[in-house]
Amino acid sequence: MKYVCKRILMLLVTMVIVSLLAFAAFELIHGSAAEIMLGTQATPERVAELEAELGLDRPFAVRYLEWLAGFFTGDLGISYSYSQPLWELIAPKVGITLCLSLLSFVLIAVVSIPLGLWASRGRSRLGDAVGTVLDQLCMAVPPFFTGILISWLFSITLHWFVHGQFPDLGTDPAGALGYLFFAAAAIAIPRIAMTVRMLRSTIQGEMRRDYVRTAISRGNDRGAVLRRHVLRNALVPVVTFLAQTMAEIVAAGIVVEQVFAIPGLGRLLVASISNRDYPVVQAIVVILAFWVVLAGTVADIVNQRIDPRLRLGGAS
Amino acid sequence: MLEIRDLHVKFHTRQREAVAGVSLTIHDGEILGLVGESGSGKSVTAMSVAGLLPRKQCDFSGEILLDGVELLHADRTLLRKVQGKDIGVVFQEPMSAMDPLMRIGPQVEEVLRIHTDLTREARRDRALAALAAVELPDPAGVYRKYPHELSGGMLQRAMIAAAVVARPRLLLLDEPTTALDVTIQAQILALLKKLNRESGISMLFISHNLNVVRKLCTRTAVMQRGVLVEEGAIETVFRHPRHPYTQRLIAAIPTRHRKEETP
Amino acid sequence: MKRRMNGYLLAGLIVTGLMAALILVGLVWTPYDPDALLAGPKLEGPSLAHWLGTDSFGRDIFSRVLQGAGTTFLIALSTVAIGAVCGTAAGALTGYFGGVVDEMLMRLNDALTAFPSILLALVLISILGPGNKYNVVIALGIVFIPSFARVTRTAFAALRDVNYVKSARLMGASSGRILVRQILPNTMQVLLPALTIGFNNAVLAEASMSYLGIGVTPPDASLGYMLSEAQGMLTSAPWYALGTGGAIVLLIFGVGLIGEGLQRRNGEVA
Repeated sequence: MKYVCKRILMLLVTMVIVSLLAFAAFELIHGSAAEIMLGTQATPERVAELEAELGLDRPFAVRYLEWLAGFFTGDLGISYSYSQPLWELIAPKVGITLCLSLLSFVLIAVVSIPLGLWASRGRSRLGDAVGTVLDQLCMAVPPFFTGILISWLFSITLHWFVHGQFPDLGTDPAGALGYLFFAAAAIAIPRIAMTVRMLRSTIQGEMRRDYVRTAISRGNDRGAVLRRHVLRNALVPVVTFLAQTMAEIVAAGIVVEQVFAIPGLGRLLVASISNRDYPVVQAIVVILAFWVVLAGTVADIVNQRIDPRLRLGGAS
Repeated sequence: MLEIRDLHVKFHTRQREAVAGVSLTIHDGEILGLVGESGSGKSVTAMSVAGLLPRKQCDFSGEILLDGVELLHADRTLLRKVQGKDIGVVFQEPMSAMDPLMRIGPQVEEVLRIHTDLTREARRDRALAALAAVELPDPAGVYRKYPHELSGGMLQRAMIAAAVVARPRLLLLDEPTTALDVTIQAQILALLKKLNRESGISMLFISHNLNVVRKLCTRTAVMQRGVLVEEGAIETVFRHPRHPYTQRLIAAIPTRHRKEETP
Repeated sequence: MKRRMNGYLLAGLIVTGLMAALILVGLVWTPYDPDALLAGPKLEGPSLAHWLGTDSFGRDIFSRVLQGAGTTFLIALSTVAIGAVCGTAAGALTGYFGGVVDEMLMRLNDALTAFPSILLALVLISILGPGNKYNVVIALGIVFIPSFARVTRTAFAALRDVNYVKSARLMGASSGRILVRQILPNTMQVLLPALTIGFNNAVLAEASMSYLGIGVTPPDASLGYMLSEAQGMLTSAPWYALGTGGAIVLLIFGVGLIGEGLQRRNGEVA
């Protein structure tokens, strides 16, 4: 428990740094928000007026703390381009993006773990070469291109789903998840290739360790050595790797949402970047970063449950 | 009880044979010390007996008979029945030879789980008895500990407990004291001697240190570059080494001992 | 270390070499003007006259792919150059000298890993202004600095106290000379594979951003933007998407194989 608390504290510290970076980056570099909102109608007087109205004339620290508090109170201010409270704009999309990330994650885990186990057996030169080339090929296909191919095959040719008509997650969850599944597949394919590769090298590395020799000397067969010893030991690096995968899923998700016209955070983010709607960009960046950091924290806590040695030092 | 006849092992990646025609016999209840420097083939010999040779990566010939049963060419299924049950192995580095994520208890019990139909409770009792027999204080506490929570000496005792828990007839000890402090080393040697005296278990003790072998073994064999160069009762070999390599090994032992032992 | 060729390295060099040759040719000559409308019949499938067919405006797709791949290739190269030069310099200095600056930069580096690289690039591009190829280069270049810095820092810190560096120091060599002449050549083993990975990430990131319409936008050609165009013609001209996407895949695949080959040559069997 002590470790969990400590790790959560670390998570909070990281998030403060991340949010500060996100806030400061936009604050320092972009011009006055009021100028952007007023566009061509900007006169010095009107800009000052609007800045006062938006509270932009107050000190940086005050505004940062207020903005940070907004994530908890739900008051994140107003979008420039949609003239709508940010939270109302973002909230319905959080669920969709969350579902897409989780679905991709589950897909990656479910497909690559058995595949990685299977791949860790073969040692022939030819098999190794074929596997490596296949791996490199899968990793070379960008998720948005896979997405286009998938929508071509399954939507246009096979009519399994209607591209561009995303069912409402609340009223038709099954339909929405079905739609998201195709997008998740596009995100998952290159990551599956990487995960299989990683699993293979981890398991083969573990198989060379001394405790495996001990296990064999006791009369375990290969299956028992794997089940009882190797898999557990291989789990720690794999969990860490899967947590890093969450970052890649989030990144690929931004693009793939666009490919499949899924009304999630990624799509809103891209639209807001084009519109220079900075409050929306800031908020979404922090939410996505939180999701990534959270995945890392969960992985650390899980690993600490698996490996008693990690319980000693606490951090790291 | 154990008979090695003309054992040859050659790894595909090496030019020279790791073991080039070794024949050895271990009698019931005997502790045989196999001595030689690193690369002399002593470990490979022991691994061949334990069925741990990477068979796909080497050529091997000869015979290894454990009470008349051939092991060197035996198929995996037969070998697995012997491993752990008839032959226990203790390795050099207790810290890496133990599964770091498994508590000591289940690791000690593992042989029983594989080879016997004992109930969970019976296995636990046997494991606790074995931990007590290797003179670990607080066996019940050690049973629940993880490897990293024990010292090297305690871990090596636990490894010995795990190797003898199923009462095998032969114990292979591959440099079991090399990684330990001198005082701990002496304790482990005393423990091995006690186990041998009380249960009559035969041992193949491998070491590069002739002096350690002398404290424990009745008979010794000296290996160099894959070949047995000398074999005999320990005191005979020690006092009248015939082979120049053995003479050099003895000369390499720190002086104080030599003064005492060779008048 | 054996400086030996292997199959992966060779195959990667061949694929990448072919792509680079095509791109070089594309810089000076393309079969048709990539932007000329009605260079051929509209929506025609691949043929001898139009290797990758034509789009709904009758533009020759092969010519467009050549031009787009050129932009993507150049952007990726300059991005990696910025990232590698700045990152290697930062990593070398902090790794070699250590100290407070090193500590602070490493903490900043840790915080930056919370952002996936594309997300970070999107943040930068939204600050710099979307839809401009120079901004894409700057944004991506900055994004790739931390990863190069991390790799180099580790390598330099490890080599700081090896004997030949110590002896060079004793013989009075200046720090700059030690860094460049003694250590840098020995870090190539880790730097080269890192370059191939960086290049592929850059291609992927540029194509993604251009696909989203915030990277390279017309009149500049880019494979990513062309894919978003192609998606609109998926029903009528699927070969457009296949040709464009295929070019991206080949670019990444070739360099990926080179990276694999380099790593295997270094003895890191994956």
